Amino acid sequence: MRLPLKYNLRHLQVRWRSTMATVVLTALVVAVFVMVLSMARGLRSTYLSSGDPRNLLVIRKGALAESSSQVTLDEVRKVRFLDGIARARGPGVGGTEPMISPELIVVITLQRPSGGIAHVQVRGLGPMGAELRPDLRLVAGRRFEPGHRECIVSRNVARRFPECGLGRVFRSGRHEWKVVGLFDARKTAYDSEIWIDADEAREAFNRTFYGSMVLRPSDPSEAIRIRARIEEDKSMRLRVLTEQDYFREQTKTAAPIQILGTALAVVMSVGAAFAAMNTLFASVGARGREIGTLRVLGFRRRAIYVSFLVESVAVALAGGFLGGMMALPMNGLLTGMFNWSTFSEVAFEFRVTAGLLGLGLLFALMMGVLGGLLPARWAARRDILDALRGG
Amino acid sequence: MTFAGYIARNALRNKRRFFFTFGSVGVSLFLLTMLQVVLRGLTDPATTEEAALRVVVRHKVSLANMLFAKYRAQLEKMQGVRAVTKLLWFGGIYRDEKNFFPQFACDAGSLFQVLVEARLDPRQRDQFIHQRNACVVGIKTMERFGWRPGDRITLLGAMWPCDVELEIAGAYAGGLDETPLYFHHEYFDELIGDPGITGLLWVRAENAGAAAELPGRIDAAFANSSAETFTETESAFQIGFVSMLGNVRALIAAISSVIVFTLLLVTSGTMSMAVRERAKEIAILKAVGFDGTRVFGLIMAESFALALAGGMAACALAWLVVRIVDIRRLSRGLFVNFEVTPTIAAVSIAVAGVAGVLSCLLPAWSSVRRSVVDGLRTVE
Repeated sequence: MRLPLKYNLRHLQVRWRSTMATVVLTALVVAVFVMVLSMARGLRSTYLSSGDPRNLLVIRKGALAESSSQVTLDEVRKVRFLDGIARARGPGVGGTEPMISPELIVVITLQRPSGGIAHVQVRGLGPMGAELRPDLRLVAGRRFEPGHRECIVSRNVARRFPECGLGRVFRSGRHEWKVVGLFDARKTAYDSEIWIDADEAREAFNRTFYGSMVLRPSDPSEAIRIRARIEEDKSMRLRVLTEQDYFREQTKTAAPIQILGTALAVVMSVGAAFAAMNTLFASVGARGREIGTLRVLGFRRRAIYVSFLVESVAVALAGGFLGGMMALPMNGLLTGMFNWSTFSEVAFEFRVTAGLLGLGLLFALMMGVLGGLLPARWAARRDILDALRGG
Repeated sequence: MTFAGYIARNALRNKRRFFFTFGSVGVSLFLLTMLQVVLRGLTDPATTEEAALRVVVRHKVSLANMLFAKYRAQLEKMQGVRAVTKLLWFGGIYRDEKNFFPQFACDAGSLFQVLVEARLDPRQRDQFIHQRNACVVGIKTMERFGWRPGDRITLLGAMWPCDVELEIAGAYAGGLDETPLYFHHEYFDELIGDPGITGLLWVRAENAGAAAELPGRIDAAFANSSAETFTETESAFQIGFVSMLGNVRALIAAISSVIVFTLLLVTSGTMSMAVRERAKEIAILKAVGFDGTRVFGLIMAESFALALAGGMAACALAWLVVRIVDIRRLSRGLFVNFEVTPTIAAVSIAVAGVAGVLSCLLPAWSSVRRSVVDGLRTVE
């Protein structure tokens, strides 16, 4: 089947103004779609890249997040001396210590520069805490010293909240914390946190318990054994999961944005498809003589149908491409979003991935097909004589 | 034929185009209306005369920090305070995480002196007050799960190391939110070993004057204590919740401006098509003596009417959606105040009107300027 493709594509050039209007319309819809979904992507990938596969996290049974978990001092003592926990040189002189860090998450509020308050997660770590997260780098200053009201702050947090800059002292409750260092956690969830010493945290925030424990088994088979031993101990109501599984659970925070983005795009695309149909119907109507001529030249009805559909799809794809380009500058933009289960804000970057751009194009393609079906059918069905006689 | 009739006939003469333009404009404005509704729901929480008399006391550091339960007694003695209840967000799980609804531990004896709008059967209220494991549930949550008074339910502690087993004493109706469940703080204390803490203190003031000055007095009373407080009115408290969500306002503003822009594109596209088609007619109108202004007015009126019709339909649709969809539940109780107000409808319709006028300017202007001879010569 030969298609009068050249005719249709030439037409788009000649009527460039109405073509452009449809292209821009599609582009806007695709841009909104890609931007909102790139938020969801960024949030998900922040959580998915968090956590060391070798580490286990111990939290209270039933708790949905570290921040709402409680682990008693007794439980920490019991777990700490289990066999099978890897050992490393401790901060003390000589000897090795088990790689386990009792931790406590507290949430504090900071002033947003733009007004309003944000809830930021403060993590109190045991002496082995940093050892358990080798990915994290100190980029400025030094580590906090246990026993002092000192903290290190993610570079992202420092950027978002000026009161947490290096060397600054910020107040939370009745305590002042000195920022002695900045760290970079390679875009993981830790990049939304402020780190302090766990025992300082318990004391300053009035807690008689820790929140969770992070530990490193000496090898994977030990991991299974440690897990069984902790979970089967009826005197402790604890749950053990890998750090990665824990963060994977947090990705559900992205679900509302995902839904919002998709819903918004679908509704907008209906509006845009209507407008595209409008334009295409008018152009089919005005091109009666041309369509008639094509038919006289021997192009079949089906060829006309397909060719007009291709015209619509081509315009939509151009729009999809443009929309993707419009969304691209958002890539890497730092933003924050509230996580209900940790009750604090997680910082992340917009991620405009290739997959997402592909999805945007697919979306545009769908709009093109939907917007083109009816007008193309009409074009194909027009009676030759009528078409030739009409405009 | 009247002018109005002429305009209407013109707008409707290409039925298909009318339908698509109307649909497209309608969809854009529907979104715009819904976004405004969301924004209002977030930034302008509902308030009633009763709610305006209440203040919320929380820990100064953050909502996640606990207050001392003993503060309640001190607050009760303050001048201007009528009633106080402790309030603690339990955040338990009923069967599945998806079945989210608000649950609070409270002082059963004073809850209904603070939450005065809540109406329930006096016998049910007495049962609630006197039975330690009893709870009262908002009518909406009762209906959602098909609960009846006397049912027993278990909430698994996700935030607290205890599970609560409750018997439903009754359902209440009235007030801004009819979804929360309230149970005894004492029961909670018993389960977790009486740590002497609570989340919030919910205070009802004697009168509006007291409500205005209580926050300052309360915070001063607890200044320099081991749990300093932050007190604000109930509606300020809700707005605070929203500000912690992040910059929702900017996101909504950005999306809204994109929508308005698409709206302009659609209407101006339609109008230029309409005017192009009718070049000959417009020339005839001018030939028979209509002056430029009048022709201009006719085109503008058509565009304006079309956009306005779309705007009104969009508002009606949004109104319907807001009525039917239980947005409060979808948003986990965050959007309490969800409504298409006259102001929102007016803004949407005004945007439609302005878009209608703006979009016809260019096509109308060019057709007015065109000479009659030129217009008559156009081939359709």
